[in-house]
Amino acid sequence: MATVRTLVYLFIYPGLLFIFIYSTFCEWYDRKLYARLQNRMGPTHTGRGGILQPIADFFKLMSKEDIVPERADKGMFSALPAFGLAIVSTAMLLIPVWNYQLSQPSLISFNGDLIVLLYLLTLPTFIFFLAGWSSTNLFSTIGATRVLTMLFGYEVPLFLAVLSPAILANSWRLAEIAAFYRQRPWLMLVNLLGFVIALISVQAKLERTPFDIPHAETEIVGGTFTEYSGKKLALFRLMLDVELVVASALLATVFLGGFPGGFWLGLLNFIIKTLVVIFILSLIRATTSRIRVDQVVSFSWRYLAPLAVLQLLIVILVKGLIS
Amino acid sequence: MNFQIPIGPQHPALKEPIGLRITVDGEIIREADLRLGYNHRGIEKLAESKTWIQNIYLMERICGICSHSHTTCYVQGVEKLMEIQAPKRGLYIRTLVAELERIHSHLLWLGVAGHEAGFDSFFMYVWRDREIVMDILEIISGNRVHYAINTIGGVRRDLDELQVKNILDSLSVLRKRSEYYLNLGTTEPSFVARLAGVGYLSKEDALALCAVGPTLRASGVPMDVRKDDPYAVYDEVPFEVCTADTGDVLGRTVVRIKELFQSYNIIEYLLKNLPTGPIAVRAPRRPKSNEVVSRYEAPRGENIHYIKSNGTEKPERLKVRAPTLGNYAATIKMLKNGFIADVPLIFAAIDPCICCAERAVAIVDARTGQEKIVSTSSLKQLKQNVSPNKERKREVVWPL
Amino acid sequence: MKIGAFIPELLRHLAKKPATVDYPFKKLEVPKGFRGSPYLKPELCIVCRACERDCPAEAIEITSLSEAEKKFRMIIHNDRCVHCAQCVDSCPTGAMLIDTRFEIADYDRHNLKMQWDYIRAVVKPKSEPKSDQAKS
Repeated sequence: MATVRTLVYLFIYPGLLFIFIYSTFCEWYDRKLYARLQNRMGPTHTGRGGILQPIADFFKLMSKEDIVPERADKGMFSALPAFGLAIVSTAMLLIPVWNYQLSQPSLISFNGDLIVLLYLLTLPTFIFFLAGWSSTNLFSTIGATRVLTMLFGYEVPLFLAVLSPAILANSWRLAEIAAFYRQRPWLMLVNLLGFVIALISVQAKLERTPFDIPHAETEIVGGTFTEYSGKKLALFRLMLDVELVVASALLATVFLGGFPGGFWLGLLNFIIKTLVVIFILSLIRATTSRIRVDQVVSFSWRYLAPLAVLQLLIVILVKGLIS
Repeated sequence: MNFQIPIGPQHPALKEPIGLRITVDGEIIREADLRLGYNHRGIEKLAESKTWIQNIYLMERICGICSHSHTTCYVQGVEKLMEIQAPKRGLYIRTLVAELERIHSHLLWLGVAGHEAGFDSFFMYVWRDREIVMDILEIISGNRVHYAINTIGGVRRDLDELQVKNILDSLSVLRKRSEYYLNLGTTEPSFVARLAGVGYLSKEDALALCAVGPTLRASGVPMDVRKDDPYAVYDEVPFEVCTADTGDVLGRTVVRIKELFQSYNIIEYLLKNLPTGPIAVRAPRRPKSNEVVSRYEAPRGENIHYIKSNGTEKPERLKVRAPTLGNYAATIKMLKNGFIADVPLIFAAIDPCICCAERAVAIVDARTGQEKIVSTSSLKQLKQNVSPNKERKREVVWPL
Repeated sequence: MKIGAFIPELLRHLAKKPATVDYPFKKLEVPKGFRGSPYLKPELCIVCRACERDCPAEAIEITSLSEAEKKFRMIIHNDRCVHCAQCVDSCPTGAMLIDTRFEIADYDRHNLKMQWDYIRAVVKPKSEPKSDQAKS
């Protein structure tokens, strides 16, 4: 029974199938929202309100010709999309949606899974860097260096912002952090500043406007993905969608009290909370223009990092007060 | 490590083919080189085999965005050659369309600037509101892009009361929206961070490199053909030449948005003082043999047509100096020591129309095959000879 | 400087109808006087060839079928037409007219050709042409 349960967990919910369906839905939601914010229609014709458009795009890309540049590092170039998708899908399993017991650590919910999740979310950045670097295209190379330059900017504020709620909750386990804030909802307000910082950093991690610098199309064409086509590009796009879901689920767990209520209610909670986070991310995307890579670094270190440290201080003070 | 990146001839930031070879050191541009000639269409040669009437439509197709600029510039020259004077109402309608075109071109530019800076929402909203002016143009002329309203000796379509009311109504909407965009474009932090201080061009450089149009005016030089050498009815219409002192992309944006308001005022004035009478006079089929230089302030800057006739149905020579050509030299200067990220913005800030500018700079004598470069002073002399009746309003210091 | 200056405008439009139209399914009306494709009213054509001469795209072709019967053929090559409506202005009898069609794309450029065989009309030119197209 436990094996079946694990297999279901891995392949159906919240494993691969659910990830695929839900991340494409989130892409549709993001696209539609972005379009409506811009007074456009967005995807319209595939499925009801264009809801199947991302899936159609995925299958269209899967059937397209797959070109590997002659001078690229072929093994690396081809393996990276699969690796990336595997990494973010693994990260998805650590989100405490279902099948975990608060009292008993398990393989998918253990003390320190927050750190592992953050680590797994850092890896895609390196995947993008390696993808750009191994393409040996000039635009890809510039994109790759931009990916890394940006990483130095947003990674530290993100870690600080996500870890401060954990310090307050006195646990490195996602499920316990969520449970802690569910018991004391007013403590969520303490982390408001951290939530804002984390939202901005996640926006940068997901390379969405104003941080879509590594693949800024008007500057460096496709950036890191310039040479990717066909199946590999489809996998990369799916990877970005999954990353969006994972990152917003992480924020929802840490800052918004997680997804309580067992199977169905937990699912509902999960969907509502991630969609709220994605809504804010889309709004940021629609409101801003792309900034330069040097501006990202200076902005992160001048504003985000000090504010994150301030958040940490607040958390420590509050912790001293309530204990 | 220095390496060269090719921007263009095919690149998402460029809507038309042009080659920009950029030598970068990391993210910083050390050297820029501009390569033209991907879009040469032989328009000047073709013009020599078409009649004066047919050439109006050919000139219109030099550029899609400033189609009215090129026809007006051409038609003014031909009218001078044929020694006819277009009636007042015709000139008013011509100027009206010219200003509507300026609005549409500047709004288009504003949207493109947003897009190049990755501010897609701004782009979408500006272009949505640009539809208003496109619709006005469609109602007036019967088409959205190639208005074909000019003819030799006047304009082809008249305005009626309903249209006048329609235009005035739409203008008030546009005016409100433009105020909003001026406010937004200069306050949204991420957008301003991208525009301010980018692509700096000093006043001296702008003059020395012969920049034209909003690029020049954003460097603080109040040069505008509409004021300096008024054509059509600009000597009757009150308006101001908008300038900015910053000399960067933000300045160019502000100049263009300010010009939008000037255009709204001009259009309101034109519609309220629209004279009655005919809209066109009959033109002869053949002008006398003569030559003429016609100047026009296109949305992108000064547009010059040189027309030579030999008394036949077809022009002997037609030379077009599109405004973008005047701005290329300044662009190279602006690009140097900037960031790669700013290339599309700086390049877009001159509002390049590449196919407009695609023609040889050196003057080649068709009969002898001799190449010669005409100096600016002799061109100036030529201008004095050809249009001595118009005196310059303001004494401008010639840089060379 | 105002952080998020655009947000109120964006949120205001979230519930509004999109500005764009679902084009191939819903169409916008073109205004009166839209310049579509030119066509001929053969009963008015006096074969002065003004349109043929003035057409900038050389899209109009008039050939004589039989001199004795004064029979002519006019072909309008819509694939070359630039929709400037100069032929309408040039025509002294009002035989050239323009419609408001704009979806005229086709798989084969020869399908765009329009052709009329007719006998030359005897009509007095009603009005001066609007601009300078009459023979000088």
